[in-house]
Amino acid sequence: MLEFISNLIAALLTLFIFSFLYKDNPFYRFAEHLLVGVSMGYAIPLVYINAFIPFVYRPIFLEGNFWLIIPSCIGILYIFRFTKNLSWLSRYPIAFGMGIVGMGVPMSMHSSVLVQMRNAMRPVDSINSLLIFIGTVTILLYFYFSKPHKGLYGKFTNVGIWFMMVGFGASFGYTVMARISLLIGRIQFLLGDFLGFIK
Amino acid sequence: MSILQRFQNIDRRWIYLVVALCIIVPLLIPFNSKTYVTDPSSNLYQKIDSFAGKEDKAVLLSFSHDASTMAELFPMEVSILRHCFERNIKVFTICFSPPSAPLMAYALNVAKEDYPNLQSGVDYCNFGYKPYGLFLPIVLGMGDDVAEAVQTDADGRKIKNLEIMNGIRNYDDLNLIIDFAASSAVFSWITYARVRFGANVAAGVTAVMAADNYPYLQSGQLVGMLSGLKGAAEYEKLVDVFAAYEDAEYPNGREYSPEVIKDTWVPIMSKKVSYESSDGIVETDVELPYKFKQARIGMNAQSIAHIMIILFIILGNIGYFMTRNKPDETI
Repeated sequence: MLEFISNLIAALLTLFIFSFLYKDNPFYRFAEHLLVGVSMGYAIPLVYINAFIPFVYRPIFLEGNFWLIIPSCIGILYIFRFTKNLSWLSRYPIAFGMGIVGMGVPMSMHSSVLVQMRNAMRPVDSINSLLIFIGTVTILLYFYFSKPHKGLYGKFTNVGIWFMMVGFGASFGYTVMARISLLIGRIQFLLGDFLGFIK
Repeated sequence: MSILQRFQNIDRRWIYLVVALCIIVPLLIPFNSKTYVTDPSSNLYQKIDSFAGKEDKAVLLSFSHDASTMAELFPMEVSILRHCFERNIKVFTICFSPPSAPLMAYALNVAKEDYPNLQSGVDYCNFGYKPYGLFLPIVLGMGDDVAEAVQTDADGRKIKNLEIMNGIRNYDDLNLIIDFAASSAVFSWITYARVRFGANVAAGVTAVMAADNYPYLQSGQLVGMLSGLKGAAEYEKLVDVFAAYEDAEYPNGREYSPEVIKDTWVPIMSKKVSYESSDGIVETDVELPYKFKQARIGMNAQSIAHIMIILFIILGNIGYFMTRNKPDETI
């Protein structure tokens, strides 16, 4: 019975969202606002239980690790973001966050630039590697704006445009596939879990 | 107004109706279709399978998505969990966003239903939800000591006291991380776990994110990748053909073989697992419930929808080129 009620609610909310395909309506807006509210309502106690209790309350108040009061106070400074006069205080915890991001820069450089470059520099021994070589060189030429894209140079950069168009087309094709998959998932739920037509 | 001009100005809601029918009809009247397995999927399968029965090797599944992308990612999560359970591979799960927590528990529950002897803390362990602020301390900490970095599992038990931790200390043992993501979360695992500690990373991503991850796959920074519903369907087939295979010669599944996967297909309409290949049909008593073929049935609808979209694109272009030089009578 409980499963039926939860499936009924999910099915109704799915249909409310689908109703937007006909036109904007109060049912759609209700479901949209409910999603935002439920997401926040779910996240706040989960974070309270899994972050505040084990990493702030328990160590400070039950285990006596009072030095943790310092990072906790720095974290609380985030709240001043909502005040006009003291919003500058929120920059201190942001500065700590930026410091951590900085730690990832060398590793990001390694994975996104150096390893990719190493693989782009391999011997051209197959059609695939030849295509990668031509694509990499012509696209890099396209993004070199200190020389006008004219004459022979312009022809090379045009090849780069073609490669980019193929890339955009692949991305778009994948996006269409993803959106259809999401619709399939919802219809599988409606026809299967809710109506029981698929077993 | 000519027919072509009428098509050019058709109300978009008719298109929605046709799309809906193209998906509803194949789901209501499913049919057997072949699933061809690509290298990124089979590479991931082989990597996971290489851990089979090993005490000192484990897989970590990271859930980085919410319910909106469940249609694509849930079937691949269930398939990979099923593979691990079939082949006696230790598996851990973790998530860093609140909406992922119930999806992670749901995937585990759905996959383990068919394995009543599995024990939490012995065969698998759900680390549970960890606040995102702890992402870096945990990911970097697991490079030294998993139990120390994660501390407790979803049930509040101390990780270091669990039986599953025998032989598992750091990324040398927890040697494969698979991130299920609808975002660039996979990149964080590559940056911190792979670059810093050399851990193997794989991705199960939505189709939207697949194109972004191909450079990492091509450069060898991802050992494998499942892309959208297609990737999930491929993995379902791999598990059916190898991990879940049962006969007198192979009572607990069989080793991966590129020839076998190329030649064999599993009729999804059957209630029991059966294999059709050039050697003939092999029928088994192994159940094939809907949850283990959900992606493959979904791919039937996907294929029909893609054909419909291609037809619409062709029709639209024919209409455009035939009417572009004619004056618009609707003005």
